Amino acid sequence: MTSAMTTEFRAAGTDLSERRRSGVSKGPLMDIVPASDISGMNWGADGTLRIGAYTTIAAIAADRSIAAAYPGIAASALGLATPQIRHLATLGGNIAQRSRCWYFRNPHIACLKKGGTDCPARNGNHLYHVAFDLGPCVAPHPSTMAATLLAYDATIITYTRSGLSIPDVLGDGSNGTVDNLLQPGEMIRGIELPKPLEGERAFYKRAISRSYAEWPLVEVCARAVIKDGAFQFIRLTAGGIAPVPLRLKAAEGAVQGKAANALNIEVAAKLAMSGAKPLPMTGYKLDLLEGVVRDVLEKLGA
Amino acid sequence: MSTMTINGRVAPLPDDVDAMLIDVVRSDLDLTGTKLVCGAGVCGACTVLVDGAPVASCLMPARAAAGKTVTTVEGIGAEKLHAVQKAFMVHDALQCGFCTPGFIVEAAAFHDHWRATRGTATPSRDEIGAALSGHLCRCGAYDGIFSAVAAACSGQFDGGDIVSPRVEARDKVTGAAKYTVDIRHEGQLEGVILRSEIAHGKIAELDLAPALALPGVGAAISLLAEDRIVRFVGQPIAAVAARDRKTALAAIAAIKISSEKLPSVIGLDEARKPNAPVVFEKADRKKAGNVSEGAGAPAPWKANIRGPSAAFSLKPKQVRSWVERARQEKNPLLVEGVFRTGTQSHTCLEPHATVAHFEGDRLTVHASTQSVFHLMELIAKRYKLDHDKVRVIADHVGGGFGSKASLGAETTIAIDLARAANAPVRVAFDRHEELSVTGYRPASEVKLALLPSEQGGLKALSLTAYADTGAAINSTIATLARLIYPADGKELADFDVISNLPPGAAFRGPGGPPMAFAVEQAIDEAALRMKVDPIELRKRWDTDPNRLRLYEWAQGLDVWRNRKSPAEQTGRYRRGVGVATGYWLYLWQPGSKVEVSVKGGRLIASTAIQDIGTGSRTVIANTVAREFGLEPHEVEVHIGDSKLPVGPGSGGSRTTASVVPPTLLAIQKLKAAIEKNAKRKPAPGSNAPWRELLAASPDLTASGVRPEDSRQMAPGVESPLKQVGILGWIFGKMMRWMSNMVIGAGVPSSVQVIEVEVDTWLGHVRVLNVHTGIAVGKIAAPALARSQAAGSVIQGIGYALYEAREIDGRTGDTLSGGLEDYRIPGIADTPVIDVHFDEAGFDHVLGGSVGIGEVATVPTSPAVANAIYNATGIRPMELPIRPDRLISALKGRAAA
Repeated sequence: MTSAMTTEFRAAGTDLSERRRSGVSKGPLMDIVPASDISGMNWGADGTLRIGAYTTIAAIAADRSIAAAYPGIAASALGLATPQIRHLATLGGNIAQRSRCWYFRNPHIACLKKGGTDCPARNGNHLYHVAFDLGPCVAPHPSTMAATLLAYDATIITYTRSGLSIPDVLGDGSNGTVDNLLQPGEMIRGIELPKPLEGERAFYKRAISRSYAEWPLVEVCARAVIKDGAFQFIRLTAGGIAPVPLRLKAAEGAVQGKAANALNIEVAAKLAMSGAKPLPMTGYKLDLLEGVVRDVLEKLGA
Repeated sequence: MSTMTINGRVAPLPDDVDAMLIDVVRSDLDLTGTKLVCGAGVCGACTVLVDGAPVASCLMPARAAAGKTVTTVEGIGAEKLHAVQKAFMVHDALQCGFCTPGFIVEAAAFHDHWRATRGTATPSRDEIGAALSGHLCRCGAYDGIFSAVAAACSGQFDGGDIVSPRVEARDKVTGAAKYTVDIRHEGQLEGVILRSEIAHGKIAELDLAPALALPGVGAAISLLAEDRIVRFVGQPIAAVAARDRKTALAAIAAIKISSEKLPSVIGLDEARKPNAPVVFEKADRKKAGNVSEGAGAPAPWKANIRGPSAAFSLKPKQVRSWVERARQEKNPLLVEGVFRTGTQSHTCLEPHATVAHFEGDRLTVHASTQSVFHLMELIAKRYKLDHDKVRVIADHVGGGFGSKASLGAETTIAIDLARAANAPVRVAFDRHEELSVTGYRPASEVKLALLPSEQGGLKALSLTAYADTGAAINSTIATLARLIYPADGKELADFDVISNLPPGAAFRGPGGPPMAFAVEQAIDEAALRMKVDPIELRKRWDTDPNRLRLYEWAQGLDVWRNRKSPAEQTGRYRRGVGVATGYWLYLWQPGSKVEVSVKGGRLIASTAIQDIGTGSRTVIANTVAREFGLEPHEVEVHIGDSKLPVGPGSGGSRTTASVVPPTLLAIQKLKAAIEKNAKRKPAPGSNAPWRELLAASPDLTASGVRPEDSRQMAPGVESPLKQVGILGWIFGKMMRWMSNMVIGAGVPSSVQVIEVEVDTWLGHVRVLNVHTGIAVGKIAAPALARSQAAGSVIQGIGYALYEAREIDGRTGDTLSGGLEDYRIPGIADTPVIDVHFDEAGFDHVLGGSVGIGEVATVPTSPAVANAIYNATGIRPMELPIRPDRLISALKGRAAA
């Protein structure tokens, strides 16, 4: 009951090593050679930024230019995993990591992502699973960076394609057998970020039970330009609640062009759950989503 | 071949694509300070520096270290101790020590960076908490770690000699301390267990030949009982021993097995249904495990329900009718509710592990055990060996908490494999095994009714408790409610609900926390309805002199006096203060013997006790040192070896009360012998007369055996069993005869006052500060006792807010088999903890000291719950009080 024996790329191996140890991953490996074109950051003359896929999460979290231009990216890099993981884990590996579902991670249990015929979490214990039931697999997508990159309209470059949006790479959740739509042998080289907007700010927040080092129950990245007390631009994306990172368009619409006041923010927070289809055990995630959206919008409005 | 530079030396790296850096460090280079705990990058025990950055060596492929510089804990203090190591020693920032190397490596990196950029500024708790957020300590030594890191960063440990309050601390901060998992004999094989993937079934075919045929495999054995039945996922079926783990795993995979599934039943609700499949037929009931510290009393047992165990009831029929009448009369003072608690895993960071080694007819067993002596007895009995042919050794034990108290599968399998392979064999569980099959505190459902009398007394208390014990029995939750808050009547019934889940086990104060979660919230609720201060009501209903003093202390706390009511709170963040009480039994082990010698002028104390992080080494060293006017580090303490004089098990908080009295007796005798043999009296007025006498003394030895306690007790101090009359007397005798434990007079007690902050948007609870008042007599090792008290609170916070084993209700698989899904508290979840010791109450015990480990964790979860109620007006009825439950309650959504 392991993944098909396709070759898996290994960057730092933080996700893969655990699956090798447990026996969930048994196929051949190919170690990525950190060539210069996939390492480090390059600022374009036009204010865009390219980050190599091999750049570590710690390097992204610690970069002052990123913190200034794309504060949501720096904050989410700092908010994920633990310091000892962030020093190893790469951006490309974060986007292409496999599901954290506890059925998927158990080598003795069959599931859609391991060649099985159904999702054991759907009728089983799905306490930490999706509240937007968009496909046959109910595990949330694990990539915090992808959820944040979605808010920044980042594009992904691979060795065969470029200009790929996050949905191009991660899909819409309708294919439960995969965590991404990269083709066999296709490897992420890096991401490209558009030039930040004039005066934009951003916040990232995850809801967890403890203080640190926990997979998010819900996580949200919010970017905004606020001018004359109103949301001139707003972008809200969420992770931990759907098989893919979600853009919260209804919530965006509720504040777009409107005053950044408590009333509008409350309406937007409620609308964040538009389109949600919670599972029997995940209704609470919608309440948390409302709370997290409210939290980041209030911080933006403050 | 590629190489790395490790601790200043060049070392080759293997070509194996699946070799991790930790494998090279621990196995190839024998640098065993680096520990493997979670294997998933969550706990930080394997942290090493790679080119100066702390990384998880359990996840880093070895080949990625090519050309890099690696520093392990052994390289941190290689020349002289690092400031952080000294600070950890002085601030007692460790208990069992298994997580300590990882903390040291990370903290040293943080310290060095801090000093380079910030000089000797003191980092805040938040800064330290964030920096160390990738490390977990199950003992809960976080309080000391905060102080240690702050002190080191501010330059307090830049120079000079230091003294640690914990005698073995140096070995633990340098990685030199050897635990069972670190033992390696020549030719040692690695044992791995094939476990059941089904919850209930009969193993039809089991063919070990393909495993034995593989190169490097030394033995493959069947572990099936005669009936070939398995009763839970994870039950051992077979085991192999091979030259390394990889080969052993391949051999396990090669075993041919087929099974017939039998109908199974999982969990509390399903197992109680009338037609549920039966887990243990009558003839098999001996195979059930035990979730208590002592042997159980007989009880009715029908299908999957064993109980009621109701011997501690008092006028139960009247209680039923009083409660019924109060219900009919709609008596507003009648408090009723169903309280639920989660399944708590011990989560010892050192896994259950044993290394078995036969030399001729002698068997040496290194084991991660809570009882070296008793384990030797159990092994000798099972394998029909004489006591002098079996030796159990445990120099250091990486946590136990109740789960390592008996003869476990890791030990019998290691011995069986060692015998079959004719080679030493190590069996060390992986994290999934550790979090699924090594026992747990059973989840519970406690139905409660509490009825105050018209005069404001406690008229009736009724508890019916169902415990989710899996393939085990003997839960005592309701029963424990008899020994606190006397009432006109008590109806107390305990039921074990048996199902096809791994067996539960004793866990720190078994039955105590779930009992307190229900009773202490009910008292709180009664106080609200009676419009009485909750501490005042406890003073009225409780009669124990130890606790009455603690109530006085609690009432004087500012945080208690200044608390608000739920109605006064609005807004997103709300603060609340709660109180709760806990007690545990004072237990000691008869026959415990301590030998104290003077040899070459040096004092040596020996007993077959073990130190699982609780500080038994230090307790003995302190006791001897104090009596001779020396420093504790001048006393050599020999423990952790069954060859030494019989010592107590580390369970039931019994070690201090078992070893201090015989140590004092031995000292008395030794002093007399020294004086008798002295050729010269010390100079008159000498300020170190014993130092002089010892220096000149011939080698002498004296021993003491644990005496009975004095019958002269302070007013009000009595055995808690007295309240239960003749049945209590019988219970006490049974404990002594069957479990070799005496329930002494006086009740170890704890009162906690806890302040929380609730984020009502995110259902998140932050415990801000904890005041824990503890009455366990005289404190034998103050710094260590403080650490135990704080660690108990932290474990209690885990129980209250985060920890729950999660299973699949259909298959019986444990889903929370890793440390990211089984969530124990981290350093940043640690509140400010104020520990108050009330040292009176145990003068009838020679030395005046009893144990602390269990009583100090009992009141935490109800105190947190009462604080949440005080903040929000919501009564938490189920543990853990996670965001999903709290947000659902706050929003009025039905919880999952």
